[in-house]
Amino acid sequence: MSSEALIIFFLGGVVMVGAGILASNLLAPKSSNLQKAEPYECGVPTQGTSWIQFRVGYYLFAILFLIFDVETVFIFPWAVAMKKVGLSAFIEILLFLIILGLGLLYAWKKKALKWE
Amino acid sequence: MATSAIIFYTIAGIMIIFSLLAVTSRRILRAAVYLLFALAGTAALYFMLDYQFLAAVQLIVYAGGIVVLIIFSILLTTHINEKLEKPAWGKVFITATLVLGGLMLTLFVLTNHEFVLGTEPTAEATVSVIGERLLGYQAGGYVLPFEVISILLLAAMIGAIVIAKRNSTKS
Repeated sequence: MSSEALIIFFLGGVVMVGAGILASNLLAPKSSNLQKAEPYECGVPTQGTSWIQFRVGYYLFAILFLIFDVETVFIFPWAVAMKKVGLSAFIEILLFLIILGLGLLYAWKKKALKWE
Repeated sequence: MATSAIIFYTIAGIMIIFSLLAVTSRRILRAAVYLLFALAGTAALYFMLDYQFLAAVQLIVYAGGIVVLIIFSILLTTHINEKLEKPAWGKVFITATLVLGGLMLTLFVLTNHEFVLGTEPTAEATVSVIGERLLGYQAGGYVLPFEVISILLLAAMIGAIVIAKRNSTKS
């Protein structure tokens, strides 16, 4: 793909979206009141700010997520090369996933996945 | 100016703007989000270099994983609502000096180093080539490190759980 096409595509996207927003701004009837400016949350009045302190329990989930995130990095090249390499690739990834599955099993056993 | 140069300078400009915003923002959660855009810009640069695998890693691990971890650790702290204090002038001075020194050193090396264009064809680094090398068990294959990585990740996971669980039983 030539980079000219990329620039035209990008500019096209900006113009399309920008034109839409501009047109709706110019054409739409406007009325504003205090109630309209309130944050909407399932129709229930919101309480306090959304920037609250999270519970520590989330952190473990974040770390576990990160580890499986890194795992996907290795699954990508495997998925692309799998057909060419053949059966050995399948066995290798099976071993890879089983070893990582042990970690998940450990987390389960230690009740790290349980919400307390 | 070539169009690829236009794209490069646009991406570089976006990265510089968001990096500056990340370090100057007085609200820490916003700084984390600005960092996300700077990291996504780096991924865009890798895409420009036709290095798709590294770009994907950059997006998944850094823009996806690390930023999530940073945001979570910010949300775990109290006082996320408050603005950070303005840093003392002494600290600003020391940091600015160090950064300028690093910049000078980088520019010095870049301008003085003789870059020689290689004549040999470079190895292709497409995702499929990486995958074949990663799974290959003949010479030049990396199947053993590939499997060792899973053990390393397993160790990281167990370590994280052990540390987190010990803390939760104590409190």
